Amino acid sequence: MDMLYITGLHKRFGDKEVLNGLNLTVPEHSIFGFIGKNGAGKTTTMKAVLGLLKTDAGEIVVNGEKVVYGQTSTNRYIGYLPDVPEFYSFMTAPEYLRFCGEVTGMKKSENENRCRELLELVGLGDETHRIKGFSRGMKQRLGIAQALLNHPKLLILDEPTSALDPVGRKEILDILMAVREQTTVLFSTHILSDIERICTDVAFLNNGVVGVQGKLSEIKTKYRSKEYLVETEREADLLILQKTFPNMQQTGRNQLIFHESHYTIFDMLCFVTEKHISIVKIERTEPTLESLFMEVARK
Amino acid sequence: MKSLLAFIKKETMEQLRSGRLIILGILFILLGIMNPAVAKLTPWLLEVLADSLAESGMIVTSVTVTAMDSWMQFFKNIPMGLIAFILLQSSIFTKEYQSGTLVLALTKGIQRYKVVISKTVVLAVLWTFGYWVCFGITYGYNAYFWDNSVVQNLLFSVVCWWLFGVWVIALLILFSTIAKSNTDVLVGTGSVVLVSYLLGLLPKLREYLPTLLTDGNFLIYGVEEAAIYVVSLIIALATSLICFVMSIPIFNKKQL
Repeated sequence: MDMLYITGLHKRFGDKEVLNGLNLTVPEHSIFGFIGKNGAGKTTTMKAVLGLLKTDAGEIVVNGEKVVYGQTSTNRYIGYLPDVPEFYSFMTAPEYLRFCGEVTGMKKSENENRCRELLELVGLGDETHRIKGFSRGMKQRLGIAQALLNHPKLLILDEPTSALDPVGRKEILDILMAVREQTTVLFSTHILSDIERICTDVAFLNNGVVGVQGKLSEIKTKYRSKEYLVETEREADLLILQKTFPNMQQTGRNQLIFHESHYTIFDMLCFVTEKHISIVKIERTEPTLESLFMEVARK
Repeated sequence: MKSLLAFIKKETMEQLRSGRLIILGILFILLGIMNPAVAKLTPWLLEVLADSLAESGMIVTSVTVTAMDSWMQFFKNIPMGLIAFILLQSSIFTKEYQSGTLVLALTKGIQRYKVVISKTVVLAVLWTFGYWVCFGITYGYNAYFWDNSVVQNLLFSVVCWWLFGVWVIALLILFSTIAKSNTDVLVGTGSVVLVSYLLGLLPKLREYLPTLLTDGNFLIYGVEEAAIYVVSLIIALATSLICFVMSIPIFNKKQL
């Protein structure tokens, strides 16, 4: 079953078309990575799913129920963490979670237990200060706790790891891995390594439409990088290489990049040996977010 | 119901921890004490100033102060209380728009109208409590020093003024759901009150405007009949209700 289903979503801000007929399907119990440049429309899409944003056209269905702008009844299935979560700063973390529980109508004893459990999970169990003094990492963790509070069927996180240090990022990714059994996770990011670490499915957003979406493993094999980077010791060698292999492109000081469709790596290595060119390094480039994204966007 | 109570609790906690509750509490108590105090001090003040007044040709004879003077002070001072109240509470919605704190509460599934109700209830209760504390203190001192029975239409006149406060709060709520910043809220609320006041200068319109309710001094001296105030009382009540009811659909459609 699909937890989230979006068809033909349109949204314009003034004369800027942010979403241009977006289609997206998020299967149940997946960890779904939503990738796109800044301003690609990730946050806009998420806000539309939450009924916080009026869309111009299109339909959004969460857990079989249609989302209506301004009404938040479908949000009982959803846990949401905005990119910069803002809490009532005059409360402490436990008070805030308890407030969230009361707002959703949880029973008092259940609320107490759940709050304690979640504060432990996100490592804020001993925190007694008001939220006013929290760091960004702490706010992010509290944000995840509040998003998980009422056992959501769909957890939506807007760039949950962007502002965090590597340790903080790992903690959050671990939490997401841990909750996969209970929920479906949809999170937006532009950090490719996060996607590779935990995602089962991905969608690339470009110009307001989803370029490609599917299982991460399938997409990865389909778009494996066939690019190589060569760095020579002397600048003169660079010119020799470029003369023989005119399709090589200079990318940095003494660095050339070439694609397997132009020359094979073996031809290049033979040439290097023949001419006694001293090499600093040769590597097969990892698909960067940008290259993968560009490739996907071009299709 | 549970979520509504939770939100009211949150609002109350915010009023308390942000210090607004204490500031308003102190203010209304001070105003309550000031009214009889100023009345009580008037003869003494005039006595002190008697010499300099005499030089400029004014002769001070014995001044008798009654509860009337204290109540006059009440109607003179209570606008300060309301203005301070409005200034302090003007950001009750807009602060949440600007910081984005409502987003999380709404995505937790609380219906939007409950947010409006919670904030309205808290403001109405705060105003009512502050106002009547101020009234109570003045009443107590007046009864102790003088005699409240010389005052006509006392209860009616203070109820009128209280309702005027409720009307202004209803405007505040309405403009809070329309505007984005608290300056806009203050400008909107202030303009309506000002327009009502200016129109009230025209004798024909005066009786139909909520600002009439602030003319408590005419009532306590018996210059005007209470009956004259009934129309504006009903109009204030009705417009307050309309403002409140209108603010809900407006808030429902608000982009957060």
